[in-house]
Amino acid sequence: MDLFTALQAVINGVLTGALYALVGMGMALIFGVMRIVNFAHGTFMMLGMYAAYVLFTRTGLNPYFGFPLVGLGMFALGYVIYQGLLRPIHGQSDFMQILLTLGIGLALTDTVQLVFGADYHQINFPLLGKIYHLGGRINVSAPWLVSFGIAVAACGGLYFVVMHTMVGRAARAIAQNRAAAPLMGIHLHRVQAFWFGLGVATAAVAGSLLLPVFYLYPDVGGQFTLKAFVMVVLGGMESIVGAAMAGLLLGVVESLTSLYWGNEWALAVDFVIFLLVLSLRPSGIFGRQRS
Amino acid sequence: MKRGQVILALAGLVISLLLPLVVHGDYHLQVLFRIYLFAALGLAWNLVGGYTGQLSLGHAAYFGAGAYGLALFTRAGVPIGIALVLLVGLALGFALLIGGASFRLRGPYFTLCTIAFAEVLHATAKNLPNLTGGDVGIQVPALFHDHVHRSFYFCAVLLTAAALAATAIITRSRFGYYLMAIREDQDTALSVGVHTARTKLKALLISAGFTALGGALYGSLFLFIVPDQVLSIDISNEIAIVAMLGGAGTLFGPLVGAVVLETASELFKNVFQEAHLLIYGLLLIVVVLFLPEGIVGGAGSLFRRQKGMKGQRGGR
Repeated sequence: MDLFTALQAVINGVLTGALYALVGMGMALIFGVMRIVNFAHGTFMMLGMYAAYVLFTRTGLNPYFGFPLVGLGMFALGYVIYQGLLRPIHGQSDFMQILLTLGIGLALTDTVQLVFGADYHQINFPLLGKIYHLGGRINVSAPWLVSFGIAVAACGGLYFVVMHTMVGRAARAIAQNRAAAPLMGIHLHRVQAFWFGLGVATAAVAGSLLLPVFYLYPDVGGQFTLKAFVMVVLGGMESIVGAAMAGLLLGVVESLTSLYWGNEWALAVDFVIFLLVLSLRPSGIFGRQRS
Repeated sequence: MKRGQVILALAGLVISLLLPLVVHGDYHLQVLFRIYLFAALGLAWNLVGGYTGQLSLGHAAYFGAGAYGLALFTRAGVPIGIALVLLVGLALGFALLIGGASFRLRGPYFTLCTIAFAEVLHATAKNLPNLTGGDVGIQVPALFHDHVHRSFYFCAVLLTAAALAATAIITRSRFGYYLMAIREDQDTALSVGVHTARTKLKALLISAGFTALGGALYGSLFLFIVPDQVLSIDISNEIAIVAMLGGAGTLFGPLVGAVVLETASELFKNVFQEAHLLIYGLLLIVVVLFLPEGIVGGAGSLFRRQKGMKGQRGGR
């Protein structure tokens, strides 16, 4: 294994990591604003992949142009799920919220399996075969590059919405003090529904961007739910920037793990890092130390 | 446990032990075995998830430790009796690691930690073919040779009875009150002198021990196990759903939950093959939204409300 191989692995890791970052940011948003650990997060990402797949096979719309549509549709789904299912148990223990989102995830995953079957799918369009060569030894495939670009832009956009818009300010106010925010004229449920929808849409957009470079099957979301937890904890539970950083880190770590130990250990290494961080530095490696 | 409950439990035990006289056929006995196995697992989970209010979604780790422990220890030449002790020890070791890492933290950390640990074990079992056989699987020795299914069924009934008795004793002890105090309000429990982290850990250890025995029983019945069967998150979910459906934090809840869930899932398996996760998901949603106390807890509330005018307080 020479240096170029390792460099190649790091570059691949960063490209994957940007997509992870998007998934993790969605989860961190939902956790930060509403204190819900969304066990259905990977399922929503998987739904995004299937939505993009259906768009592509029915209308020929390439996921790189179809992702806003997917995001919009999934935003609506998230909004409705919040208002219909999560709002009634608002204020209950995280125990109940975890079980509820777990139930939503199981039901949606199995529904997709009943509709589409358990087969693996993949899409194909001309861009997919293209590979750029950098400096002779490093290869970067075009679809990964495009997915990376869009994911970075989406992360930036999300950051902008959180920091510089009215609804973002409202979300930060709720995250800071749930009791005082409504007294300042913030419509708690409307804001939370919006952010749940946006978190779900973020996961779904990541799913659309993943479709060209990944296999599609109903259970694909499960591992992403788990990875999103790892990112959120590594990032310091409610920091979206921390979650994004953790996403990049995870991408690189997984890529290096695959290179040196084999792909099948990637998820296990994620979890070992997670358990270590949890027992040694529970505020996360990118989070500030809290009491 | 009131006298009525004792009589009910003993009657249930006698009926359960006599059931094989009426029920013949391996298929039906195996369904019954599954009901009692998951009743025992649900009861064990209930100590942590129900009475202490700590949501574990990683009990597959202890279940798998039981099944794989039996296979690995006996393959190493350990007699079955000692292997059973060792595999419980293995599960307790895992519980110490999980609880030690996460019980000092609040909120969803424990849940996430349980899942992560179980998944690490799952991946390890898959990826170490020399030790565990990997995805191909590993042979588990038979605990019984005569009337195979009947003996396993009796064992599952006895495990359930033991878990039920342990729960009844614990919930009437000081330790049990500590657990419930932690569930109701951890800060208050801490302030009146309950060592919350240690108490939670004890509950988890007891729970892990029973779960490991259940796993060993399960593995031995099938004689052959693969990681996706005994270490997958589906096992963890099923255990939690059994207890939640019947009523977390109630004595008989997991038993009722196991009867309802396993019967329903067996019936549905014949109608649509792959939809049982859909059923589990919908059941979870319904339980959380409309029946947070489960079947037993919900029925108890209803019963108390009927009698409520007389000011009588019902026990759990």
